Amino acid sequence: MKTINVKINGENYTREINEDMRLLDFIRDELKLYGTKEGCGEGECGACTVIMDGVTVNSCMVMAFQANNKEILTIEGMEDEKGLHPIQQAFLDEGAVQCGFCIPGMVLSAKALLDKNPKPSRKEIKEGISGNLCRCTGYNKIVDSIEKASQYLEGEDQ
Amino acid sequence: MDIKNVFQAKDVPEAINLLDQYGEAAKVIAGGTDIIIALRENHVKVSVLVDISSIKELKEIKTSDDWVEMGAAVTFTEVMDYFKGHKEYSGLIEAASLVGSPQIRNAATIGGNICNASPAADFVPPLLALDAVLTVEGKEGKREVRLEDFLLDKGRVDLNKGELLTTIKFIRLRKGQTVTFSKLGLRKALAISRLSTAVYLEIDDDEKCAEVRVASGSIGKHGLRERVAEESLKGKNLDKAAIDEASKVLSNEVEKRLAGRSSCEFKKDAVEGIFLKAVEKAMVHNGDGSYCAMGTQYYPRAAGKE
Ligand SMILES: Cc1cc2nc3c(=O)[nH]c(=O)nc-3n(C[C@H](O)[C@H](O)[C@H](O)COP(=O)(O)OP(=O)(O)OC[C@H]3O[C@@H](n4cnc5c(N)ncnc54)[C@H](O)[C@@H]3O)c2cc1C
Ligand code: FES
Ligand code: FES
Repeated sequence: MKTINVKINGENYTREINEDMRLLDFIRDELKLYGTKEGCGEGECGACTVIMDGVTVNSCMVMAFQANNKEILTIEGMEDEKGLHPIQQAFLDEGAVQCGFCIPGMVLSAKALLDKNPKPSRKEIKEGISGNLCRCTGYNKIVDSIEKASQYLEGEDQ
Repeated sequence: MDIKNVFQAKDVPEAINLLDQYGEAAKVIAGGTDIIIALRENHVKVSVLVDISSIKELKEIKTSDDWVEMGAAVTFTEVMDYFKGHKEYSGLIEAASLVGSPQIRNAATIGGNICNASPAADFVPPLLALDAVLTVEGKEGKREVRLEDFLLDKGRVDLNKGELLTTIKFIRLRKGQTVTFSKLGLRKALAISRLSTAVYLEIDDDEKCAEVRVASGSIGKHGLRERVAEESLKGKNLDKAAIDEASKVLSNEVEKRLAGRSSCEFKKDAVEGIFLKAVEKAMVHNGDGSYCAMGTQYYPRAAGKE
């Protein structure tokens, strides 16, 4: 066993982990945060996306011990006391969610994109979510919602 | 996966000590994007992992008067951010931006790309074209080795037990010098490169090709320097005839190398186009029939020459 300290969604956790555990297993099985999904387990689908120290990573491609002393945001950390995050609201308003399996990863990729580039073009949005596969929507509505989220966030700033 | 011991090394000496202590039982993990799959599929069997992705000194890129030096744990995203806007390094930016997806580029390191030694490793051809020099450190000290000599075989590099790749450096580009990269296939996220070429080009004041280095990916056991194409271009005026000739020479070389393989017919033709693209990118058409190396000032073509 190995002890790690991680800050997840603003909260500090000190936990014993198995050496062979992936960050994805730690988040789901240890912390019971089931919003982070496992699709392919090989870095292809992005369903397991989390934000670690400000950038998106596939949590199936990170060992849990590597997250020691890191700061992580999962989909559960997007909502605050005021309610849904504007990006989440935009996904609902645009009707971009079908089965929902890809959505946590999509929302986090959208957040990382908008943090770096608040007014992305459609092309930049497509590039930003190119590591997130969706089997249902055909992506257009997802791109629409990220455009809308960009407007919501701009409005918030004013 | 049968991992018993894991360490998050804080600095290079700690990583080297751990690698020395555990010997064959240990492996380095950086971005994890190759090794985690290999461990899960039992292609790699080790019981100790030494994580180097949090070592600060391995995450730096520095430009000095003569060299650009990159730490082995620099990610592709960091490469793209560092060289952004520096057109002479477009080959590095482009190769990095074509790796996997944003999530992969945020984790995957340049050192991991080299040490994993896949024939399709995207960052290897531009570094070969820059004639990059690697620093390898172990218990016995440091040594420098040229990237070309470091690549031994598919999946095998010149790293002894207990050694760590720490930095990758190349001579800083000056006016008239540029490196470019061209890869076959759609610009599709997650498409592992099938065929690529990188070109380093230096144009002298007489408009001639003063120096050229060409490297390829996925047409050999690992990334390769393509010397016949280099020899064909060197010292020539960079006109269409000279470039076409070099691409034919390269195509013939690839045909010889891959003779008997099913991919030969396709790759010998494809390499021509990919090479032409990489050379074109290294030159900017000035509208009057003259060319200059990209990212540098206008190079007037001497009057009367075409
Ligand atoms: C979905 C997906 C898409 C991908 N797409 C591409 C692509 O388009 N192009 C491409 O080139 N690659 C691609 N890859 C492969 C991979 O992302 C790259 O090869 C990456 O650069 C590996 O770096 P890493 O830091 O993740 O390596 P790791 O997996 O951490 O390590 C790889 C190997 O190198 C060794 N190693 C790492 N660093 C060092 C060091 N400093 N010293 C000594 N040994 C070291 C490790 O022990 C291990 O054997 C893809 C991978 C995935 C999962
Ligand atoms: S489950 Fe991690 S990328 Fe698919
Ligand atoms: S909504 Fe079903 S996978 Fe995207």
